[in-house]
Amino acid sequence: MASPENAPFVTRRKAMSLFAGVSAAMVVGQPVLAQDAGGILRGAFDNWRADSSHAVVEMKIKRNSGTRSLTMESWTLGDKKALVRFTAPARDAGNATLQLGNATYVFNPKLNQVIKLPASAMTQSWMGSDFSYNDLSRSQKVVNDYTHRIIGSSRHAGKKVTIIESIPKRGKPIVWGKQILAVRSDGVLIQVEYFDQVGARVRVMKTDKVGRIGGRPYPMVLTMKTDAKPGQYTRITTKSAEFNLSIPAYVFTKSNLQNPR
Amino acid sequence: MQNLKTLAPLAWRNLWRNTRRTVITLIVVSVGLWSVLFFNSFLNAWGQAGKDAVLDLLIGQGQIHAQGYMDDPSIERLMRPPEGTFLEALEAGEIGAWSMRLQLPGVVVSEYKTLPVNMVGVDPAAERILSSIPEKIVKGRYLLDAHDSSVILGISLAERLKTGVGRRVILMSQNVAGALSEQSFDVVGIYDADKATEDYYAFTGLVAAQKFVGLDDEIAQITFTIPEEEALESTVARLALAAPDLDVRPWKQLSLFLATTDSFMQNFIYIWLAVVFSLMAIGIVNTQLMAVFERTHEFGLLRALGMKPRQVLVLVALESTFLIGFGVLLGVALAGMTIWALADGIDLSAFAAGLEMFQGGQVLYPQYDAQRFVVFSLLIWVLGILVALWPAWRAAKLSPIEAMRQVT
Repeated sequence: MASPENAPFVTRRKAMSLFAGVSAAMVVGQPVLAQDAGGILRGAFDNWRADSSHAVVEMKIKRNSGTRSLTMESWTLGDKKALVRFTAPARDAGNATLQLGNATYVFNPKLNQVIKLPASAMTQSWMGSDFSYNDLSRSQKVVNDYTHRIIGSSRHAGKKVTIIESIPKRGKPIVWGKQILAVRSDGVLIQVEYFDQVGARVRVMKTDKVGRIGGRPYPMVLTMKTDAKPGQYTRITTKSAEFNLSIPAYVFTKSNLQNPR
Repeated sequence: MQNLKTLAPLAWRNLWRNTRRTVITLIVVSVGLWSVLFFNSFLNAWGQAGKDAVLDLLIGQGQIHAQGYMDDPSIERLMRPPEGTFLEALEAGEIGAWSMRLQLPGVVVSEYKTLPVNMVGVDPAAERILSSIPEKIVKGRYLLDAHDSSVILGISLAERLKTGVGRRVILMSQNVAGALSEQSFDVVGIYDADKATEDYYAFTGLVAAQKFVGLDDEIAQITFTIPEEEALESTVARLALAAPDLDVRPWKQLSLFLATTDSFMQNFIYIWLAVVFSLMAIGIVNTQLMAVFERTHEFGLLRALGMKPRQVLVLVALESTFLIGFGVLLGVALAGMTIWALADGIDLSAFAAGLEMFQGGQVLYPQYDAQRFVVFSLLIWVLGILVALWPAWRAAKLSPIEAMRQVT
């Protein structure tokens, strides 16, 4: 990402999927009612993605060598289907990613080819970026594979924020030592911190701005920072979004990935 | 024959007429030969130590795989544990130890990095006899048994992953269903080998590895050691006969790099021999030519007194024969003494970091190589005499009148 000209298409692809995951993850349709930690998170993640979504999002990647902005359009249906397509800048336009369950397909217009990504490639850290594709595409795991407890509370924009510590269950294939999540009373995830196994924070994702969009409280601006790379970040800004709309089935097909209708 | 009896003492006395020149030639020949002989032993020791170090680490003297595994090391090309006559063949005399392994190519994931790795499921009891890795644990412990589902990482890999003993990593590999298995493994030990090995191999229990990817008892390879190197070929042939449907290979076919290095080490000495001998030949010819020129008057006189050209030639050639022969004896003695003095081993551990890339052992034990001692000594002697024939021929073809006219 440091050098946009050389950024491989895989990276871009990851960026797209990443965005799909993040935007969906942040959408919490109903106020959280449950008061135990697991319940608060589950309440949030049960509404992980709205039944469906369509959004236009801008992603800004800040590096020491410069800043790069990308615009993309995404469609999601449930938590199994997602399509993300770049629309700007012109150089990146047309790159697209389709997720169907565990399978991920990438389309690159320059190659005019659809490639199925090997599962191991999806676990790689997102090259040069502060996001890792892996944990974003699977962030629902935090509900089931971790044990949760409330460790405190704070306030954010006048609303109560519950701070939850989530520790991976023994034997689960999770590298993090723990995550600390902050969930606002209206169900918006305010902050997620990732810690390594000796307790050092590795990175943090923050909601910079909460707005109302599509009739729900929504994290309009999200920033992911890696502690080891000060001054660098990746910021996602939602330009427009609609939820619970009906999306035709053909959208989530490989043929639509390659030849958009 | 009568000639020789007369000429030999004459030649011998002539040698010592110019002591300084004779001693210089002796030094040239003896130091040259010494360097050849000592280098030969040194290189052999180095090659051997390096070879042993590499083979002891993982390769063994040979390995057995399913047919096709070496070309495509995938989970579809595994084999059953040995049984029946094959098992008996493995248990037979020349084989020192054998061990079953399962290699799973995959990736290892830490909080900070995802890296490719070759995960090796091993039987720790067998590995302790066969491989040097269990002794190379620098932190934590080695695997306890084949069911041990912990993982041992190399120093370099652990550093790159920013993980360590007491933490866990996720390993991913293709499973029998063709999907991806992922599992959390506790890091219990860190081993110290060469960087390439450290970066590439992670170890866990054999049964744990089989469970991880959904196998029953299939294995990827059997590694065996043979204490007597001479028995290697016959043993490989015997094993191939006992297991006709498997792929039995000696180490030379498993590590081409090592085999090439080995053969290079064996033959490099001839290059050195050629270089040293060229220099030595220049020294010998030069001094002998000088000797002949200085004694032009004398040779003329000998001819005038009735010595035949052939006899002059033999006289000068005899001088060279004695001179070089002496030098050769001295060189052999020097080389022998050097090797004897270094019998306790040459400790290279001060250069360990630099040598690691050659995968060499750190203490070398130079040994006498009787055959090469004799061959190289004779070679230098004979070649030395041959080049010294030129000055001798110059002396022989002198015309007595012109030679005697020349005042030296």
